[in-house]
Amino acid sequence: MVPDLRPKLAFVLFLSVCAFAFDWQILLPLIALVLLFPFALPSYHPASDRARHLFFRFILFSIAISGAIIVLNGWILQTGERVEVLPGISLFSDGLLFGVRTAARLLLLSFSVLLFFSSTPIPTCINALQQSGLPRTVVLMLLLTLHFLDSLPERINRIFMAQEARGAPVRAGFISRTKAFFSILSPLLLSSIAESVDRGVALELRGFLLEMAPSAKPELPAQPFSPLTILLLAASFFILVISIARWLLP
Amino acid sequence: MAPSITLESVTYRYAPGTAPALSDLSISLPGGTCCAILGPTGSGKSTLVQLLAGILAKHHPESVGEGSLTIGDHRYTPLPNDILFPDVGLTLQDPYVQISGIRETTRKEIELTLETLGRDLVNEGGNIERLMHQLGITHLAARKPTTLSGGETQRVALATILIANPDVLLLDEPATALDYGAQANLKLILQSLRGAATVLFTDTHIDLPLEVADYFIVLKAGSLQFGGNRKQFLEHLPDFADLLPVEAWGKVLSALKGDPQSPFVRRIVQAAGLL
Repeated sequence: MVPDLRPKLAFVLFLSVCAFAFDWQILLPLIALVLLFPFALPSYHPASDRARHLFFRFILFSIAISGAIIVLNGWILQTGERVEVLPGISLFSDGLLFGVRTAARLLLLSFSVLLFFSSTPIPTCINALQQSGLPRTVVLMLLLTLHFLDSLPERINRIFMAQEARGAPVRAGFISRTKAFFSILSPLLLSSIAESVDRGVALELRGFLLEMAPSAKPELPAQPFSPLTILLLAASFFILVISIARWLLP
Repeated sequence: MAPSITLESVTYRYAPGTAPALSDLSISLPGGTCCAILGPTGSGKSTLVQLLAGILAKHHPESVGEGSLTIGDHRYTPLPNDILFPDVGLTLQDPYVQISGIRETTRKEIELTLETLGRDLVNEGGNIERLMHQLGITHLAARKPTTLSGGETQRVALATILIANPDVLLLDEPATALDYGAQANLKLILQSLRGAATVLFTDTHIDLPLEVADYFIVLKAGSLQFGGNRKQFLEHLPDFADLLPVEAWGKVLSALKGDPQSPFVRRIVQAAGLL
């Protein structure tokens, strides 16, 4: 039995719509809510230890980047009230506000997508897509993309280890890491793409793209949309319509 | 019944005007043969097995193939341009890419092949267990397939193809990731398939082929250097000293258990530069 992923997807959609429609005062509590979900709701628990580790690491990085966005905007957009943060260094209120708004949107969008993928194992995700009746070529493409993203951190780590074994100071500090990362970027992507092609070929060699026999045709999910899914979809639609109307009408 | 395989004047280029990856190959394999395709890297071994599996033309639309292929009663002229699975099964060099990642456990990974073929999993349950036992992976049934070691992954990859019961089994360098014990296991598997399927496997070394193969093909730069049965291959063995790795010749000598003073063994030793 493939779990129904529709409520989760509807929740991601709802949060994405909110990220564009609302201002930071509403987005910040929503971000806090998203961060509580992995602890509070079993269906949002990270799927594995690795997923948990990556989820929280991503949160830390995102918060650091958000801080940088806010400060940078406060420094570049020199309008509004001047705020002296350090002797000789001033930021501007309009820039800071714009930075907070942008950072909050980015955080909510990325956290909601991350919450979905960290709590949904790739096999479950692909099975659900397959069972939904999507063409097999589309499922294969999504599968390869997810594998590509899933294997990326491990590949980077492996290349870094190989470089370290040769005495290269790739993890000596932030600058060394950044420099090393850019130098491995193209071989990393090329090798990942080559592996994705091979994986696609291997799946084809197992008949993955063959026309399925009638007995193997997946049964479409019999269960109707849950009330929660309907509520989230309706709320997303309503917020979207109101936002567009507000944007179009003077 | 395992089908015979015949290649007639097969030439294959990955792009028009380029050097042929396979050049004027004519081979005839009796059904049920276990055939080793030998040769150094770049000799066309992988191209040959991929061509037999029908994957080449599909993934290299600009490629040019000439000649004909006959598998059992099916004659392919022009060469096949679609996957011949499940009649022909191929495992790739890298066993990790053979694992789909769609399934949570090794057993379910094997079942995926049956699902794609529309077979009834309930009826096939016994076959899955038998195959897993034969490959020595029963204890891995509940393990996540992406967490297996190289040798284990190799055997699971093999199981994902064998479960379809192909008439022709193609293995691209199956022994590469295997330790000594797993190689011995592979040897048993290949021996158990003798007669039931026509098996072709590629290898850059000659120790495993010498133990299991009854037909040998040697390629060099896409051309057929040799094609013949075991007896003929052993007679010509010294001629391949420049194509097959020298470090393996010691194993050859021990596998042949030949008298070091015999003219044949002395020819091998001399050809391999071991003197």
